Amino acid sequence: MIRSKSFSSRLFDIVNNVVMFLLAFSCLYPLWYAFCLSISDKSAANSGIVTFYPVGFSLASYKEIMGDIKFFNSFWISIQRTVLGTVITLLVLIMMAYPLAKSKLEFKPRNIIMWIILFCMVFNGGQIPWYITVKNYGLIDSIWGLVLSGSLPVFNLILMMNFFRSLPKDLEEAAVVDGAGPWRILFGIVVPCSVPVLATIVLFTGVYHWNEFFQGLVLTTGDAHYPLQTYIKQMVVNIQTTNLTKDQIMQMDKLSNKSLDAAKIFIAMIPMLVVYPFLQRYFVSGIMLGAVKE
Amino acid sequence: MKKRINVQFHYGLMVAPGLVWLLLFSIIPMVGIVMAFQDYNPGRGYWGSEWVGLENFEYLFSMSDARQVMINTLIIAVSKMVLNLIIPLAFALLLNEVRLVRYKKLIQTIVYLPHFLSWVILASIVLSIFGYRGVVNTIGGWFGAEGRIWMNSASFFRPLVIWSDVWKEFGYNAVIFLAALTGINPNLYEAAAIDGAGRWKSIWHITLPGLISTVVLLGVLGLGSVLNAGFDQIFNLYNPMVYSTGDILDTWVYRMGLWDLQFSLATTAGLLKSVVSFVLIVSSYIMAYKFADYRVF
Amino acid sequence: MKKNLILPLIAALLVSSFAGCGGGGASSTASSSTPAATSTPASSTAEASSPAEGEASGDDLAFRKFDEPVDVHIGMKVSPIDTTLPAGDSAEDNQYTRYLRDNYNINVIVDWTAAEGNDYNQKVSLAIASDSLPDGLVADDRTYMVSAAKSDMLYDITDLFQKYASSQVKGIMDSTGGRAYDHAGYNGRMVSLPHVSVTSDGVHNLNVRKDWLEQYGLEVPKTVDDVETIARTFMKEKPAGENTIGITGPSKSGLLYSNFLNSSDITHSYDPIFQAYDVYPGYWLDNGDGTVSYGSIDDNMKPALERLASWYAEGLIDPEMGTRDNSTEPVNAGYAGMWCGPWWSLGYGNGDAFVNDPTANWQAYPIFTDDGKWNVHMKTIGKTFCMISKKTSEDTAAAIIIMYNALVRDEATFDTSVAIGWYPLRVVAAAADEVDYTANELVKVLNGETEPEDYNDPLSIYKLLYQDVSKVRNVVPGYEPGRELNVSDFSMDNLGDFKRMYAQLIGSRPYASTTVDKAVYSVTYSLTETMEKRWSNLKKMEDEVMLKIITGQSDISAFDEFKTNWLSQGGQEILDEVKALL
Repeated sequence: MIRSKSFSSRLFDIVNNVVMFLLAFSCLYPLWYAFCLSISDKSAANSGIVTFYPVGFSLASYKEIMGDIKFFNSFWISIQRTVLGTVITLLVLIMMAYPLAKSKLEFKPRNIIMWIILFCMVFNGGQIPWYITVKNYGLIDSIWGLVLSGSLPVFNLILMMNFFRSLPKDLEEAAVVDGAGPWRILFGIVVPCSVPVLATIVLFTGVYHWNEFFQGLVLTTGDAHYPLQTYIKQMVVNIQTTNLTKDQIMQMDKLSNKSLDAAKIFIAMIPMLVVYPFLQRYFVSGIMLGAVKE
Repeated sequence: MKKRINVQFHYGLMVAPGLVWLLLFSIIPMVGIVMAFQDYNPGRGYWGSEWVGLENFEYLFSMSDARQVMINTLIIAVSKMVLNLIIPLAFALLLNEVRLVRYKKLIQTIVYLPHFLSWVILASIVLSIFGYRGVVNTIGGWFGAEGRIWMNSASFFRPLVIWSDVWKEFGYNAVIFLAALTGINPNLYEAAAIDGAGRWKSIWHITLPGLISTVVLLGVLGLGSVLNAGFDQIFNLYNPMVYSTGDILDTWVYRMGLWDLQFSLATTAGLLKSVVSFVLIVSSYIMAYKFADYRVF
Repeated sequence: MKKNLILPLIAALLVSSFAGCGGGGASSTASSSTPAATSTPASSTAEASSPAEGEASGDDLAFRKFDEPVDVHIGMKVSPIDTTLPAGDSAEDNQYTRYLRDNYNINVIVDWTAAEGNDYNQKVSLAIASDSLPDGLVADDRTYMVSAAKSDMLYDITDLFQKYASSQVKGIMDSTGGRAYDHAGYNGRMVSLPHVSVTSDGVHNLNVRKDWLEQYGLEVPKTVDDVETIARTFMKEKPAGENTIGITGPSKSGLLYSNFLNSSDITHSYDPIFQAYDVYPGYWLDNGDGTVSYGSIDDNMKPALERLASWYAEGLIDPEMGTRDNSTEPVNAGYAGMWCGPWWSLGYGNGDAFVNDPTANWQAYPIFTDDGKWNVHMKTIGKTFCMISKKTSEDTAAAIIIMYNALVRDEATFDTSVAIGWYPLRVVAAAADEVDYTANELVKVLNGETEPEDYNDPLSIYKLLYQDVSKVRNVVPGYEPGRELNVSDFSMDNLGDFKRMYAQLIGSRPYASTTVDKAVYSVTYSLTETMEKRWSNLKKMEDEVMLKIITGQSDISAFDEFKTNWLSQGGQEILDEVKALL
């Protein structure tokens, strides 16, 4: 690209770089803020004087978390859920997307199935029938309830279909000539060629399962079964006491500890922080090929 | 001939697990839609409850509450849709002008970050930043501003919801634009430069037209989510003081069903939402196909 | 006047218990026996006729130990911030469940737990919606109980209750004049065990820092004008520095005033102010001429609201009103000068305020109208209910009633270092006049008119009276007859005792010692049929309008608009329904 080096152009560059810096800063700030709160002194955190740097350095919050069995239990549930959910979703989607990426001639019921899927994406019976159904399957408190009850992620299916469709046809045709069956073509040829879209879907599904809190609230019978986000929703966001009773008031004095809350939030963010930069290069191409927004 | 059938069969086998999944967790619970036409009595179940025809729909339309919720939903969702197109586009254009490649990459990586964090987490941070003893009031205090209770201000809540969502998603939404930008033929820029076109002119005449089809496509496809104003976000941020401006269809349906025991009314509202969304999605797909020659599936 | 009502009730109770357990409670029953028969529940008298048969009956049944363990499945609300449960214990296995297992062979099985408040209510809704109530479940609101009853999911305990409830429990039910039975019933059948709370839980006082009053030479407040003057002085002088709050306001989940559904235990509301204007928002009022009105749409609300709005605008009311997680926090931190609440909100409610500042001389006063009348709205029986599933066996249902009996009898003896909230299916029952009665008796003991031993009766419906009178002289060493008690007269050596005595002697002093000029009851304390559909929306509209007027986001004209909307969106229909209840 040829650069013009006029003054206005330089000024623009400077301003632009600063704007970019500020935007990036705004995206990092919440993370930094939570971190500062978490290593600040409890009273400083509660009084609101922590803004851009920690006040009264203290690791008390992290020490306290170390002894919080429920937190780590929830963390573990979330990890299980994320791993299982991602693997299963990925498998089901691969198998489903492949035939559906074919034309109506190659796979006759394709269009009917697509309409059913679209219909299911939009219509639902509401939260109560859904709960009753999952309960009848005996999946309350089960990791499988959390993994499966969210139903099929249609957006990801479409993403994968579109990717498969964009693969060169000659690859498959050559395999057919060699006498390969559909399963071998799918897992031997199509899948290895689809790393970007698979990585994208791993990321999307993993993020979904890690971040989901609502099912954890409804499909469990107590905090021993909460995934991490539900735990945080309960412990940090939700401590709103409806009309206080005498008993409650008597326990209230230890109520607020922003530093501890921030430490929990910070720990809950870590897995995302670690994972997404690595998958970043894949999902750019993955999204492009899907080119559909959620 | 025999082989042909065989392949069809295997394709069917491949699709089966997904279909079973749909059947078990989407289609079977749909039986519950009958509640919309009943005065649902959980003791009697779906088939024993009294059928009331369209009474729930009539009542729903007569509620001033429901109207307000609808208005909130539309305002929030449409604002988000529009801003989530414009802001990422502007960001992508600006980022594209950054010359230091490493700086550019770094910025790009950082701005994706909020997209991957849950609303549970971001809400707790937003609540604490805008809390009475939060950063905003503390910094305001340095300049002599009086502390405000931001989260309880009905007039502040909508902008907060809209802009915090734009903030969360702008980096991620810019991905498509950035990718489209790389697809623009560099020769065009060179040719323009030779013709003496400055930076602004190249952006205006080359970059923007190169992106316009993507923008239109995304806009059309976004139509389907006109009634999705963001349950997770609002559920984690709102409180009764801001129901008047911040309560949306999904949160309202949730409270109707799971707090107020108005099962039938909640189902009715949910069903209406589904019908409208379905019509919108189907028409947006058709539009995308007709005007942008884009096949969604 | 009150005592006239009380004595026959005690007598009734003592006699019925005497009859029931064949002499077990004989120690102090000699004093009265004749008025008993009239108000004793029918079944007790029936049992009284055959006490010698050796067959289990009355209080033997009420505290029966099952031969075989009886399983009781429950859903349990837990406090996410509770730290009192010892390591290794759980909702299912703690000192309370062990007590039930050891003494009654009742085996509590916790099917699910949820954090108290919205999450718990959500689980209760789901349990009702999916027709999967556990054997016993506490409903935090009558709506849930009625909804379950309407869906025919609840056990009809009408007869079972007469058979298994202890004489003490029945005495408490009767202390409400029978209203408790209606309250716990649906269509004339008893379907739940009600929370019965003391009347004064619904009587709101103004709590004031008297040491601050004295510091600025202010008189004890009597009228709304006095309150304003005091708040203005506090805000001008700022005795607690920049954080000083004149009058606190409701927390973010709190209420501006109690209402017919939440008519007790509301703190940091403005009930005393409204009552001093002779308005009763949230209450269904009997106009005395066969018509009913709704207090919140009374035009006299306007001056009261305008007064509160002017206070808010002037900064006399906590600017953080409606946004705090907990409005008691500023009180405990020593920032607040005044706040409103029922008797227990002083002492029990703000115990830490005294720990943090032992000179904080909080006093409770009634606020009168300008012509010196004390208007008081009266509460409902209680808020929560223990629902028993219809699918439950008779033994299990009986076990749940026994758990209720046991809680009523033994709550005072539990070691409450483990929060009493862990008692499964905890629904509290106390005699309706317990607090004011106790307050007056405590004063008698302090004055030396009576001796603690006079109160030694283990089956009294005043469950804690004997314990209280035995302690009072130690807790209030500085007592002098004829002078208002101050915080400095109390000993804080045992904080628990201090809080309780402070609440009883100071918090409940207004109601125990002041004549109520006008006691206002709501025509109903539960939802009518139309309300079941429309109330949540009307209520929401009301809450928003009132809050906006007070915080100045809307001006007073919004009130008229609200009134019109309220009437047109179902309010009129509901008024007609409530009228039919007269």
